[in-house]
Amino acid sequence: MPDATDFSLADFHLNDNPNVLEPPADYLEWISDPDVRQAFTFFEQQLLTAPRTRSEILSNLDRERRPIINLTSYNYLGLSTHPEVLQAARETLDRYGLSASGAPLVSGTFDLHVELARRLAEFKQKDDCLLFSSGYGGNLGALQGMMRKGDVIAMDERSHKSVIDGATLSGARKVFFAHNDPEDLAAQLEKHRDRRILVVLEGVYSMDGDLCRLPELADVADEYGAGIYIDEAHSTLMFGENGRGVAEHFGMEDRIGVSYGTLSKSFGGVGGFICANARLINYLKGYSSAWNFSCSPSPPVVGGLIKALEVATRDSTLRDRLWTNTEYFRSRLDSMGLDTGDCESQVIPLIIGPSGEKLFRYATAMQKRGLFLQPIDYPAVPAHRRRFRISMSSQLEEEDMDRALNIIEDVIVRDRD
Amino acid sequence: MTKEEVIEVIKRNIVENLDDVEADSIDATKSMKEYGANSLDMIEVVSTSMRELNIKIPRSELAELGNIDELADKFMEYINKG
Repeated sequence: MPDATDFSLADFHLNDNPNVLEPPADYLEWISDPDVRQAFTFFEQQLLTAPRTRSEILSNLDRERRPIINLTSYNYLGLSTHPEVLQAARETLDRYGLSASGAPLVSGTFDLHVELARRLAEFKQKDDCLLFSSGYGGNLGALQGMMRKGDVIAMDERSHKSVIDGATLSGARKVFFAHNDPEDLAAQLEKHRDRRILVVLEGVYSMDGDLCRLPELADVADEYGAGIYIDEAHSTLMFGENGRGVAEHFGMEDRIGVSYGTLSKSFGGVGGFICANARLINYLKGYSSAWNFSCSPSPPVVGGLIKALEVATRDSTLRDRLWTNTEYFRSRLDSMGLDTGDCESQVIPLIIGPSGEKLFRYATAMQKRGLFLQPIDYPAVPAHRRRFRISMSSQLEEEDMDRALNIIEDVIVRDRD
Repeated sequence: MTKEEVIEVIKRNIVENLDDVEADSIDATKSMKEYGANSLDMIEVVSTSMRELNIKIPRSELAELGNIDELADKFMEYINKG
């Protein structure tokens, strides 16, 4: 029979405990196993400073405070601690307080929210924009608000959970196509020709760092009269000549119906947004529950985000630096013969393979040496491609990167050799 | 329990979880995908079938299976192990 480490969170979704206030009985047994507990120690480790590239954690491995090079936080452009952003957030906090204290339709819309939404719409070259209090809520609310039972949402099989959950909540039929495969998308859409169809793509896929094949996939969507929704969570402010994302990178912004972004990654705040035509945004204000029934984003966060957008787009300094760092780091990983998959972005997977034992042994050793690089295990990624996911940042100095690369070499490459 | 009975359990759970599929029309040599199941539907069918059969197989062992018949074989392996 399999032992505890053969199981994962994928195996305990179904809860048949007669007491609804308790998890499944076999889950409790599993989670108490010493090897499983060891793997779970990597979750929820506390950061003791801002998520800069040099930070400090309270390690769950030994309860030690430990200075670390941080390659896990997705503070890609360092905007969460940019001095101008922090100053703007402070000023907004003093003037408006901590909370919007209301849902947007009733009393939660401040001049600040209107200003950020207007600037984001202008930036994405769409008519209008809807701001959400979380990134997850943005996809959830947009898809739930747009689509209905009888409709079809076609998603890449590697879609983010927020996309899948939004599709589920909408009541539309969920159709998954093989990753980045226009032929499979066409085969799936062929079965639903007579339906209203939305094709949902991601600019950069978050576990692999590869880009969507937008030109080919958009051609298929057009052929079937489907709308295109693109999630640019990991690409906005970074891809394209003006940082507008992967749609700009491919010169295809006018073919995108809805452009989604998150405000917690490159923007350095928290929240989500969608940009689309004014008629759809107007309609969604009545039907997108995650928008309509959530308190509006916190004023100091919005104040900081307005400044973050300005800082990131007034010139290309930050994204240029990010790409220089990414190229440097990736070429060094490649020269060590490490597997970085089909990565094309600042998200670099470092693929270890099928062994969970190796993954956690490496994670432990690297953290003890001062590198905060979190393991990504099955079911988040396929069982034969367990990995680390490196998030590059414009804040990284060459010295930090060299230290991180040395640790990776000592721990992973030496073990392999 | 026979393999035929296991296949019946799987078929019944497919019918319960998918729209417009009837048990008689399901061919066990095909994948659930061919009856319109997405990956989430398949997890649901497998979980409810395993519950009914009182077995627990790690999801990672099921990833490579190609059709309903192979799934039934895997289930039988665990049923026979007791």
